[in-house]
Amino acid sequence: MATTSSTGAPAAAPSLTFTRPVFAKLSPHPYLLLSLSPDESSSTRSRRTNGRAPHEARPIQINTGSLSQAHGSALVRTGDTTVICGVRGELLPVTSIPQFRPTPSYENADDEEKARKELKEYDLLVPNIELATGCAPQFLPGVPPTTLAQTLSTRVYSLLHSSGLVDGRDLRVKYRPVRPPQDTEAMEEDGQEEEEEEEEVKAFWVLYIDLLFVSFDGNPFDAAWAAVLAALRDTVLPAAKWDADREMVICTTKEKGKKLNIRGHPVPCSAAVFLEKADQQHQDKGRHWILLDPDRLEETLCGEVITVVVDCEGNETRVRSLEKQGGTVLGRELIRGFVGVAEGRWKEVVKAMG
Amino acid sequence: MTASTLPEAALGVLPRADGSAKYSHAGYTVTASVNGPIEAQRRDEHPYEAHVDVIVRPAAGVGGTRERHLESILQSSLTQIILVKNFPRSLIQVVLQVEDTPENDYVNTKLVQASLNFAIMPALFQTSVLALLSAGVPMRATAAATAVAVVPEDGAKKIVVDPSPRQIEIAQSVHVLAFTSQEELLLAESEGDFTVKEWDDVYETAQKICCRPASTKEGMEMVLDEEDAGGPDMRHFLRSTLESKVTADLHWK
Repeated sequence: MATTSSTGAPAAAPSLTFTRPVFAKLSPHPYLLLSLSPDESSSTRSRRTNGRAPHEARPIQINTGSLSQAHGSALVRTGDTTVICGVRGELLPVTSIPQFRPTPSYENADDEEKARKELKEYDLLVPNIELATGCAPQFLPGVPPTTLAQTLSTRVYSLLHSSGLVDGRDLRVKYRPVRPPQDTEAMEEDGQEEEEEEEEVKAFWVLYIDLLFVSFDGNPFDAAWAAVLAALRDTVLPAAKWDADREMVICTTKEKGKKLNIRGHPVPCSAAVFLEKADQQHQDKGRHWILLDPDRLEETLCGEVITVVVDCEGNETRVRSLEKQGGTVLGRELIRGFVGVAEGRWKEVVKAMG
Repeated sequence: MTASTLPEAALGVLPRADGSAKYSHAGYTVTASVNGPIEAQRRDEHPYEAHVDVIVRPAAGVGGTRERHLESILQSSLTQIILVKNFPRSLIQVVLQVEDTPENDYVNTKLVQASLNFAIMPALFQTSVLALLSAGVPMRATAAATAVAVVPEDGAKKIVVDPSPRQIEIAQSVHVLAFTSQEELLLAESEGDFTVKEWDDVYETAQKICCRPASTKEGMEMVLDEEDAGGPDMRHFLRSTLESKVTADLHWK
């Protein structure tokens, strides 16, 4: 009955003489389309080929502190996308920064803003993303970093700075000089009456944030950023002190390390738009589906992608970044609606982060 | 003050390329060349459509990860407006050379900058569209982009079109939006801290610039003194640039 009454889409499953993986490989677009638009007579709902509903994201699992040599680390897993992030702090003495200018405290009252500029100017955050050979078939060994890897690391890098996640003040290694008694007389002669010596910055911590994709199955940015966020929250920098006699920074294990102060909880949410007609040059576009958290097969079939980074910590949802490109389906209304979807995802991810 | 200067463009500036354009606005000058459809490299070849290759060369130094990101954004947008299905297994190459950028006197210029280069995106976008038109590559629609920043000013927020580097530095959020000539949103990139409401305002401002409706029907006497919306009228600009080019080319008739 079902097979004879259908006029538009043919009932695929019974007439197929090859298996689903073969169909997917041969003609991926009709394969996904058929799965998303089942026969109206049948009771099955619109499903993606991976069994998820269009607005269903993969559950996220986050494990922190799994790397013993790093100062902070996280392993994030969403479906078959697995990424591991390690954060390691390295000391950078100010003497080796060529453009270093010690900013006196009177110049600018806003210390926080100053710290933010330091982060940027001295490149204190260094993210790097590696899409390893073997994490997906499209990555070949022995080639320079792919465009995807470069684009991803630029996006992570710019979001790290624009969201102000890391407080630059945590990365300073300061020293308050102890004035010998004879010096005070000399100062008095100058007429300056400084009761307390200024704290000076002697070194900075540089955070090397390395991301390695263990396996890659679509939606790399969401997983990568979740890993960065979880790893930074896990990061404990060792207690460091400037030793004036030896003129170097000494780290001690006796004192407890300092946890980084991470501001906010920005969480990205990505989706891809799947069009009914692969040929998008007609005026009439046909139907479309917004596929949340796309996997590798879906990413290859979708042109238009959107990523919204939201932070719902306050009473009002703040959008930290919005990237939409490669198509014209998502207009103003759909993007506004998508921010609501991202809010839902935010809750899931924050819960997983604990 | 940067917004007050009108954009300038010239078509066909490079003699050997299939199409080329030079565009300058808001302190940025970009030259683009378009070659295509030409033979694609084996690995780029697509059996059903043309591969669009975008190369961005910065004003100084060699391109880094930031340029790769700009290229990937432009590539995905241009693929949407070019009729790529008409040229299977071929290549359309767009090379963009940045010639001039406004400088920010307040920060050290480094090769690797932390933030995305939002302000340059409209210039790159407009230049590539103009160069594609100059090369006669068939397109579904033209498109125009604009950069908008939300800058805090005396406690209130002000929307600045074509922000200067200094304004971007103090801005709360920076946005780049591109619209096709059919008034569809083609590209939206935002960074900073904003609400959906603020984004809506930005959207409206950008839409006014990119697709302001022609006030009189095909009227040649455009009402130029009615510059109340702030910022240039990009759609009209693209059109008039091409019209003057066509008139110049057909002058001998």
